[in-house]
Amino acid sequence: MTHLHDLTIKNFHQGLVDKKFSALEITQDFFKFIDSEDKKIDAFLSLDKESAYMQAEKIDLLIAKDKPIEMLSGVPMAIKDNILIEGQPATAGSKILENYKAVYDATVIKKLKAAGSIFLGKTNLDEFAMGSSTENSAFKTTKNPRDLSRVPGGSSGGSAAAVAAHMALAALGTDTGGSIRLPAAFCDIVGLCPTYGAVSRYGVIAMASSLDQVGPLTKTVEDAAWVFKTITGHDPYDATSASREYGNELTHPDLEKIKRLTIGLPEEYFAGGLSEDVEKNINSTIAKLKSLGLKFKKVSLPHTKYALSCYYIIVPAEVSANLSRYDGVRYSAIPEVENSVKNLKELYVKTRSVGFGPESKRRIILGTFVLSSGYYDAYYSKAQKVRSLVKKDFDNAFKEVDVILTPVSPTGPFKIGEKVDDPMSLYLADIFTIPSKLAGLPAISIPPGFQLIGKHWREEDILGIGQFFEKIV
Amino acid sequence: MAIISKKSLEHLAELARIELTTEESKKILKDLKKILDHFEELKELNTDKVEPMTGGTLLRNVFREDEVDFGQKSEMTNIEGRIIDSFPEVEKGFLKVPKVFE
Repeated sequence: MTHLHDLTIKNFHQGLVDKKFSALEITQDFFKFIDSEDKKIDAFLSLDKESAYMQAEKIDLLIAKDKPIEMLSGVPMAIKDNILIEGQPATAGSKILENYKAVYDATVIKKLKAAGSIFLGKTNLDEFAMGSSTENSAFKTTKNPRDLSRVPGGSSGGSAAAVAAHMALAALGTDTGGSIRLPAAFCDIVGLCPTYGAVSRYGVIAMASSLDQVGPLTKTVEDAAWVFKTITGHDPYDATSASREYGNELTHPDLEKIKRLTIGLPEEYFAGGLSEDVEKNINSTIAKLKSLGLKFKKVSLPHTKYALSCYYIIVPAEVSANLSRYDGVRYSAIPEVENSVKNLKELYVKTRSVGFGPESKRRIILGTFVLSSGYYDAYYSKAQKVRSLVKKDFDNAFKEVDVILTPVSPTGPFKIGEKVDDPMSLYLADIFTIPSKLAGLPAISIPPGFQLIGKHWREEDILGIGQFFEKIV
Repeated sequence: MAIISKKSLEHLAELARIELTTEESKKILKDLKKILDHFEELKELNTDKVEPMTGGTLLRNVFREDEVDFGQKSEMTNIEGRIIDSFPEVEKGFLKVPKVFE
């Protein structure tokens, strides 16, 4: 019997082609395992067995007829619950969308469906992807599969936990300030946040539109490359998506070329404050990469310390605009509110007061404040200028190096409940993932807890080093 | 330094169409104070000559021809039907909402 723990996308595909097992068998195994295992992890918000089995049978039929299949055909995946699958719930982890069902497929879902992937279900997240621990979900708290008393990271905590606990072969998440990379690091798996504009956000519930990106969470770097290759591409439905073609090198890196890359170590990220474990892991990673022949160089990103403030002005501003559409009318109602109001304004106010959780309310209020006349220049406009400076830091550093290496987070996963009452301390978990995001750069989180940041549209560099690294550990 | 008073918080909440309980107001005021204190560090930076980065990309003016794509149109008609089906209350294909004025 095939053990779910041993499966990666790559060897699953081989197994399918060699007819060692069928897509249906493996999909059934996954659901059986989810039914028992997820009782303690709480990664999934909803499952869709019927569509999954139908899709699996389709793939098995192709294989039976000896028709060619793609790398992602039959691959059972978990999808973050802020990405729309037609006919399925899409709660974004919020009570305000508890009764909403998606009426169309997100572009990333369309692409994965075309490749033959199977969707097991939708995964838990911090409400509207706002948070670093998945404790902000209106429905449940996902536990870290490596240690059930700790958070899985967030906001894509359900997706990361599902993959880490072998309840899915791969998952999709979204990353606005670290929401793919942090949970990947906390759960000890791989998470890729692509270049801003590389993947369509059509059908993805918007949080902060100048930052939101979709990306894969997987067991290996090579798997992440395959998922990314499938979901990237220009989409006329998302005006920020770019027409960029990626080559074969994403999934088939040229190791001789990779060896010649220079990796930058930004001094600001190593200036202290790292936990002992994080520091030890980073040092051993650097030593291993050096042994492969890669060169290292110190660089400076002087505005790093201002990135967090910049981010927490820009994001709430965009959140207050994006979340204004939830009014109890257009995206389903909350029944107990709907039946108790006298007029339209009351419907809006009651729906939003009952429907949004504390972090959403906090950010909506803060965003309304930083955009209000009298404060706009001091906060929002200032933050946009600081964002330019943060980006310029990276532009300068990338004149000297090809890739930048940093820890994903200053510490490992914290205890559930440890930071819920203090939003500022929770925000600090993202200080190493935010700056590259403000600059729109691609970045990947790889065990043990390190991050590679690449130049714009150079996913192949970070994926290449990652795949190289993977071969020796 | 900006401080959000209880009164201005009420105004912001009103603008955002959110009603806060007394407990929620207290907590938000406390949290916002801490967050705004943190933002003070931005004052150290001179940004007089810096151009703002107004989005996540440098793409500009993404245009297309104004043509009807019939494939897309029929897909959109399907989606439209499903959207209407998902309205809380429908009358003759229109969305029905509570009255605006008393």
